[in-house]
Amino acid sequence: MSDVVIAGYVRSPFHLAYKGALAKVRPDDLAANTILGLIEKTGVKPEDVEDIVMGCAFPEGEQGFNIARLVGLLADLPLSVGGMTVNRFCGSSMSAIHYAAGQIALGAGDVFICAGIESMSRVPMTGFNPMPNPALAEKSAAYIGMGDTAENVAKKYDLSREDQEAFALKSQEKTAAAIEAGKYKDEIVPYILPDGTVIDADGTPRPGTTAEALAGLKLAFDENGTVTAGTSSPLTDGATAVLVCSEDYAKANGLTIMAKIKSMAISGCAPEIMGIGPVGASQKALERAGLTIDDIDIVELNEAFASQSIATVRDLGISEEKLNIDGGAIAIGHPLGATGARIVGKAAQLLQREGKKYSLSTQCIGGGQGIATILEVA
Amino acid sequence: MANTINKVCVIGAGTMGAGIAAQVANAGVPVLLLDIVPKEGDNRNAIAEGAVAKMLKTQPAPFMSKRAAKLVETGNIEDHLDKVAECDWVVEAIIERLDIKQSLYEKLEAVRKPGTAVSSNTSTIPLAQLTDGRSDQFKQDFLITHFFNPPRYMRLIEIVAGPDSNADTVAMVSEFVDRKLGKSVVDAEDSPGFIANRVGTFWIQQAVNAAFEQGVTVEEADEIGGRPMGVPKTGIFGLIDLIGIDLMPHLMKSLTSTLPKDDPYQAIARSEPLIETMIEEGYTGRKGKGGFYRINREGGGKVKEAKNLQTGEYAPARGSRLVRGSAAKGDLGKLISQEGKVGEYAWAVLGPTLSYAAMIVPEATKTIVGVDDAMKLGYNWKFGPFEMIDNIGVATLVERLEADGLPVPEMLKVADGRPFYRVEGGKRQYLGTDGGYHDIVRPEGVLKLEDIKLSSEPLLANSSAALWDVGDGVVALEFTGKMNALDEQVMKLIKKAVPLVQKNYKALVVYNEGSNFSAGANLGLAMFALNIAAWSEVEKLVKGGQDAYKALKYAPFPVVSAPFGMALGGGCEICLNSDAIQAHAETYIGLVETGVGIIPGWGGCGEMLSRWINNPKYPKGPMPAVSKVFEIVSTATVAKSAAEAKEYGFLRHDDGVTMNRDRLLFDAKQRALAMVDGYAAPEKPEYRLPGPSGAAALQLAVDSFHKQGKATDHDVTVAGELARVLTGGDTDPTEITTEADLLKLEVEGFMRLCRNPKSQARVEHMLETGKPLRN
Repeated sequence: MSDVVIAGYVRSPFHLAYKGALAKVRPDDLAANTILGLIEKTGVKPEDVEDIVMGCAFPEGEQGFNIARLVGLLADLPLSVGGMTVNRFCGSSMSAIHYAAGQIALGAGDVFICAGIESMSRVPMTGFNPMPNPALAEKSAAYIGMGDTAENVAKKYDLSREDQEAFALKSQEKTAAAIEAGKYKDEIVPYILPDGTVIDADGTPRPGTTAEALAGLKLAFDENGTVTAGTSSPLTDGATAVLVCSEDYAKANGLTIMAKIKSMAISGCAPEIMGIGPVGASQKALERAGLTIDDIDIVELNEAFASQSIATVRDLGISEEKLNIDGGAIAIGHPLGATGARIVGKAAQLLQREGKKYSLSTQCIGGGQGIATILEVA
Repeated sequence: MANTINKVCVIGAGTMGAGIAAQVANAGVPVLLLDIVPKEGDNRNAIAEGAVAKMLKTQPAPFMSKRAAKLVETGNIEDHLDKVAECDWVVEAIIERLDIKQSLYEKLEAVRKPGTAVSSNTSTIPLAQLTDGRSDQFKQDFLITHFFNPPRYMRLIEIVAGPDSNADTVAMVSEFVDRKLGKSVVDAEDSPGFIANRVGTFWIQQAVNAAFEQGVTVEEADEIGGRPMGVPKTGIFGLIDLIGIDLMPHLMKSLTSTLPKDDPYQAIARSEPLIETMIEEGYTGRKGKGGFYRINREGGGKVKEAKNLQTGEYAPARGSRLVRGSAAKGDLGKLISQEGKVGEYAWAVLGPTLSYAAMIVPEATKTIVGVDDAMKLGYNWKFGPFEMIDNIGVATLVERLEADGLPVPEMLKVADGRPFYRVEGGKRQYLGTDGGYHDIVRPEGVLKLEDIKLSSEPLLANSSAALWDVGDGVVALEFTGKMNALDEQVMKLIKKAVPLVQKNYKALVVYNEGSNFSAGANLGLAMFALNIAAWSEVEKLVKGGQDAYKALKYAPFPVVSAPFGMALGGGCEICLNSDAIQAHAETYIGLVETGVGIIPGWGGCGEMLSRWINNPKYPKGPMPAVSKVFEIVSTATVAKSAAEAKEYGFLRHDDGVTMNRDRLLFDAKQRALAMVDGYAAPEKPEYRLPGPSGAAALQLAVDSFHKQGKATDHDVTVAGELARVLTGGDTDPTEITTEADLLKLEVEGFMRLCRNPKSQARVEHMLETGKPLRN
């Protein structure tokens, strides 16, 4: 059986929800444009693509009607290319990659476009019609707000506001440095607005952030807490696309193999501390790969919040120089359904660029889950 | 000449110019705002742009909505003056210097299209000097439009036409500022200070002089010179603090330099050393370190202090209660003759001021009505000087003036003991300079209930409401209780009115001429019922209100509500239950019940749901409209203008907005009449609501607000009851919820909250302090 490889990664620019440059862009248009960018960049033959698997955390409104299929039609891909929408909240597009890997392993296809989309401007987090089961809301924290989970993790791990702000500042600094060095240029597919404006850079990072500015922000979720907007990932509009295929197909068709998928895992945890989800999932994935955390050279951890990132780093024993070397979601943003594919694609890119062997991509998921993917250099 | 004004240019982006531009934008008319190019920086439009940005943050807001700000195009007079050719009216509001104004006019003459009106907002420079050297054509199109600060909120505009001004141009501008900008036009002559500021400055000077001379304290002066005279409670010194003490010497200088040497103002104009010191040290009033009053926050407290005019020291302000009996209730004759300090000070202020006001007719304006209107609209006096003279009595005033050796002006001689106003044949008349009485003629499109009342009796009336025939088959429902509060009597009158209108009339408008449309239900009565635990009485009141409002809603004739000022709680709900709303632009409407620990009980919940469910621009499904209404009502949101009320859904998009308060009844009546042909009462709405699942979602949101410290414990309880109503109680999205179901839920939730001691504490606190209790 052939190995499963990552053979391409692109994303749209990421912009702040509501006030950013993509607020008026339909998510299906943004996703279609990004997928076309992936096809162009990798040179994959569209007719060979088995399926578009698209992660989306709130698949309704303009993200509804099985957006994966609609995006294929919008992009004028051959009618034979399928489309499936996957929802695991923030883990959606990483799950899309896992699904494709499974299909390839089963011999149920060779080429998959694994994408992710979220317009947090146009479909609100919670969706338009949140209707929780009152009995479940009563008996568990299933519907808990994400900010509250960040506060819970901060309390549980005794993380001060200063700890979190130091982490957030670092994220902003790493991101700013990476942008400055042109390290993001390669992955961004420009989007052209109807008036001709070309959007080809992220609008989310705040390069001038200072410790003083962060310390001056208001508490966002709990008047007695420690978490602010500055130590949380911003609401973001964005799309991502990763090309997942069998190693045989990639080689036969002259595609650039960025990395191989080594192992994958899902693990649940308590909803009220969903931020530590990456710990259990990463441990499972490491075990399945026969590796320890010290074997990992590159870690792409989604920074939903500084508190849960610090907790995860501590519990897993991740050394700082390996972590999010081009910056993380606190600066770049977190378009829910699109993030999973970004941190897998980014890890593959970094393995190639830095000449390293193993990477771990992992993230927490609302409702209490973690997801992890380990890649190996090809 | 252009017949209408479709675009305006305002030159000068200072407080006045920018404020005028904002009001033009508030009227939905595009406006070009220009200022000079700043000496520093790259942005040549920085001054005008900065003015707009600043206005978006100013409170009270110059803009009625953020959308209005988009109608203001900014620029500078070096690069963009040619755009004046696109405008039908140019308002100049630049620095008060003749040479600079004249040079601007010269440039304007070259770029404007012929017929474009040009007006100056000058408050000091005579028109003849402004147009000196300009062409005849320019002089024909030129006039003075003197706005008051802030232009959005002050209703007065003084318009001065010159001898060469084209009557059509003046009419076009007057019509525009009246109908579109909502200002009340008072025609003034080209005389120094025009009307309001001339009388106002004299009045302030006289009151300050008298306080220093007679040893009257700041607090006493403001007590005597405020409410008892029908002057806003800021009185004299509070008003100076508000406008800025440093402005006083400027006003004085400009008037003393332009008024003739024998004008009585010249004799009283002087500045006190204490006031000069205050200005030097930065005690310029509310905008400075403090003024005649200040709030002392030393030691973490908040103490209102007043300045001692003799020593210059601050001391805690002492409430003054010197004015007694009918003198406190508006009897000016009693006020000026009360023994001691009160009578002495009141006379020292009123005697010379009223005499001065009488002296400027017809020099500053042709009729006494102009003076009275100017002071009422420009200084918010409840009565104009001539109305005050009538209150005292012309003969009494003349006697006192003569006794004091003060001059008796010509108008008082003309009156010869007769009142300045009278009612004859159901019409209000004023005394002209010719010694004869003349009808006060309202402009076309102005209909006032106060005029109607002079010649007719109400069709129905009780202690809290009345019904008037306002002509053409339309009746007006007027609230008449204190603060226009709503109670059982109002509801009873509505129920009587419906069959009467059905039988004899075509339509009904809900309208009144109080200071506010209605502040809502009579809380005092409600508290009384709560105190004696008269639950069935309270429930009867809630249901009675629902029945009355729904009787209006489903009556076989159109009902139009015409809110203005505050329309809160039950005052908002009667509007929501009407077929249409014709609102004054300055309407502050909202469902504020949660502030006193209860929820809307007169159908407001269902009506707001209908508005949001039927908003075509809003997402569908069981939750979006519910969430939106919940957000608006649970936070007791009050719209700060009719434009904002549309954004919140209190007004529908096709509801009308009247800019000029005086035109509200006429417009509402026309709107009602337009609906008469083929009128059918609305169908009863049916709702699909989310039930307990939706309530659980709202509960989660409230919990997080509670955690953030934005909602108190009792807020959570009140919000829970509101959520239950808005989500339809125990319903399910597969079922239909009727209007009757929602009304029943309203009553149940309302009654549960009424029984809650924390809600009762909120009502009590509101009654005692006028402020919401955050328990």
